[in-house]
Amino acid sequence: MVVVTTPALGGALRAIVGAEHLHEAGAPVDGAAPRWTAAPATIEQAAALVALAHDERLAVVPRGSGAALELGHPPTRVDLVLDTRRLDAVLEYNPDDLTVSVQAGCTAGALAARLAGRRQILPLDPPGWAARSLGGIAATQASGPLRQRYGTMRDLLLGVRFAQADGVLTWGGAKVVKSVSGYDVPKLMVGALGTLGVLLELTLRLHPAPDHEATWLASFRTPAHAQDCVAALLDSTVQTNRLEVLDGRVLAACSLPVSAAALAISIATVEPAVRAQEGLVKAIVQRAPGAVQTMGASFWKTYDRALAGFDGVTLRIGTVPARLAETLGRALVTHADVSVLLPPLERLRATVGEVGGGVTVERAPRALRERLDPWGPVPAAALAVMRAIKTEFDPRGVLNPGRFVGRL
Amino acid sequence: MALSASVVAGLQHLLGPAGVVLTREGRLTYESDMLTLYKGMPDAVVLPTSTEEVQAVVRICREARVPVVPRGSGTGLIGGATAPQGGVMVSMTRMTRILELDLANRCATVQPGLINLWLTNAVRDRGWFFAPDPSSQMVSSIGGNVATNAGGPHCLKYGITTNHVLGLEMVIGTGEVVSVGGKAADRPGYDLTGTMVGNEGTFGLVTAITVRLLHLPEAVKTALASFASLVEASEAVSAIIAAGIIPAALEMLDDAMIGAVNAAVGKVYPDGAGAVLLIELDGPRAEVEAQAERVAAICRERQALMVTVARDETERALLWKGRKEAAGAVGRITAAYLLQDAVVPRSKLPQIMREMVAISKRHRLLFANVFHAGDGNLHPLICYDDRKPGELERAQQANEELLHACIALGGSVSGEHGIGMDKAKNLPLQYAEADLNFMFRLRRVFDPDGLMNPAKLLPSHPACGEGFRPARPTLPAGTWV
Repeated sequence: MVVVTTPALGGALRAIVGAEHLHEAGAPVDGAAPRWTAAPATIEQAAALVALAHDERLAVVPRGSGAALELGHPPTRVDLVLDTRRLDAVLEYNPDDLTVSVQAGCTAGALAARLAGRRQILPLDPPGWAARSLGGIAATQASGPLRQRYGTMRDLLLGVRFAQADGVLTWGGAKVVKSVSGYDVPKLMVGALGTLGVLLELTLRLHPAPDHEATWLASFRTPAHAQDCVAALLDSTVQTNRLEVLDGRVLAACSLPVSAAALAISIATVEPAVRAQEGLVKAIVQRAPGAVQTMGASFWKTYDRALAGFDGVTLRIGTVPARLAETLGRALVTHADVSVLLPPLERLRATVGEVGGGVTVERAPRALRERLDPWGPVPAAALAVMRAIKTEFDPRGVLNPGRFVGRL
Repeated sequence: MALSASVVAGLQHLLGPAGVVLTREGRLTYESDMLTLYKGMPDAVVLPTSTEEVQAVVRICREARVPVVPRGSGTGLIGGATAPQGGVMVSMTRMTRILELDLANRCATVQPGLINLWLTNAVRDRGWFFAPDPSSQMVSSIGGNVATNAGGPHCLKYGITTNHVLGLEMVIGTGEVVSVGGKAADRPGYDLTGTMVGNEGTFGLVTAITVRLLHLPEAVKTALASFASLVEASEAVSAIIAAGIIPAALEMLDDAMIGAVNAAVGKVYPDGAGAVLLIELDGPRAEVEAQAERVAAICRERQALMVTVARDETERALLWKGRKEAAGAVGRITAAYLLQDAVVPRSKLPQIMREMVAISKRHRLLFANVFHAGDGNLHPLICYDDRKPGELERAQQANEELLHACIALGGSVSGEHGIGMDKAKNLPLQYAEADLNFMFRLRRVFDPDGLMNPAKLLPSHPACGEGFRPARPTLPAGTWV
């Protein structure tokens, strides 16, 4: 191996992507300034960047739209930011197969525009989804209201091409909607925060766009009533499209009348079926008891903007429907100060931990995340397997070192 | 390879004499799964009843470097639950309990030996069901479904097994018990649950499974459309999907299969048709009504000979009866068959059907088709007579040609049966060396000693061996400054 000095290394990186696409420093990642930022134009360039970084023991931080850079532990080392935004092509759209292959830097919004002509959708709508890169959504397993019906990226990612830590381009999965050929490598890559490979191409399952969607807002005097309503909806034949719990702050951010808890419920299918289910939805809400009002078509845009616009602390809480009220009660955190946040966060983790759930701090100021574990505890046996996987595929700690669960 | 006396003694001490099968007659039952081309008798079969016992078995075997092969109901179709290198087969047939039903949170936790349909039977009267429905669901175990990531007719709408598994407990090849996932979603860390589903026992043995349960739909409607040929029926399939309708199931049978089914179970499908489509829609009643009308119209536009919609549950059951008993009915037309499970992109169905006719003619063999048309998952039964010299070889050749044709159209080696011993050699068609090497290394993390269901899933290929280095990108040469 040839060890090269820093200026020479810059020259090598420049030789891969071209002078205009390599920058000294560049935008900071979670407060840490990188030594270089490189924006490859092809997946081969991306793989070469990773290979060089591997040989030179640089820390590579993949970056898409930058919407989720605060997820995880603050990075300890940021040598090379690999900016995927030029890798934005829709490679192959097969509307008759309901599949599409894209480069990782393609945004969900750009893809949606491409699919609209054939009335098809990729039902992934994390807050601010339109501007977010699909590679980033996959790496962070970000999801939004549509998960109620369609699941998350793990259910929609059919195949994935990535650069391993040593730069070897690798493919896992298939390009068809049904395949059990070999291990399910796409599942391993979703939510791995790029720590096992830099995601470069994704093959995704699409769905037909529903003919018609109607949305109602149900307001409740207590979170317990909201929980009862969710239970009744789930134990019914209503086929909900989106089902979101809104607390007072989110209601206020959406300029809606504030109540203790509210549910935004949507049904999406052929129009007669939407109308037929409306009566059932209203009856269930009123029985909870709650008050129901019909929302306009723009509601979900308002909701998306409100969630994406929050600049405070954002938590991703995994719990079960039967613990909704209790979880909500514990999740009311009003101050983004660590001394205030930490005790309620620990209580919240203990509460959802009883049902095997967890709390991830999705977004919070760096200073705060330095003083707590943003991922929370992972059972020791499972963490040992995760560590063994990381050690196998990235023994040098090239890919996003220190940011993931257990500081992998 | 015979087991040492100390291993046998250890297993017997652990499980009692009734928990260990050692006689030749006893072990013979376990020498193959439903793909009887592959045979391999284990040196012992053990019947544990708990996670602790499974872990102890794995530890005994690991100590003595003895292969461990898991087995559910033995209904697999890939030579997965067979012991080509001998060793200890772990039968899960005594681990059949439902550990927890939690309808409020839409899930259940079960032991791996539980029969798939028994779970739905346990919750149906309360309005719930377990969605994965392989055709073997009356006899196959959920542990086996997880190991192979099994599909079924209704996975067109509902997804395959992995989409319904929330958590697993597994004894991995290192002898550790690892619990991953669970009732609550969004857990931090790698998605080990998703990674483990479909491992075919090569990572270890699943000892408990938490699955999602779904609420039964308000309405179900089943229609049958007959066509002059497979090609026209395939075009109707594409048109239905293109119209934005994802039926719960979209199954096709060809004329050979229609004849076999009608002979076996009575005249359920129209004679004289080249193909029939069985279309099932479920969901809210008004949605099902609207979509059924649309589907019928599409079939008529595509020159359907006849479209009928089942008027009640009895008629619906009759339409499905032919589909569900197809594999058995085929005994009326052939002594033996090979079953292919490759996938094509669904828009390529008409093309692969034409190709299949050509392959069938070239090798003078009857192909009988019954398959999941909606997701392009083929299941041709390639019929042969094993008493006629050379026919098996011709059938195998035809099978390989069809598989290659599917891959050439952008498909996959297996849609729902898995790889096992049968298709390991085919994986390099679909994956490059780097991809195979990645999978080999992933397996090694879970099973560093190579004792968990060896000789399955991955091919004997240099990329699946120690020391293999896939090609790396070329780095810039010369002066970099």
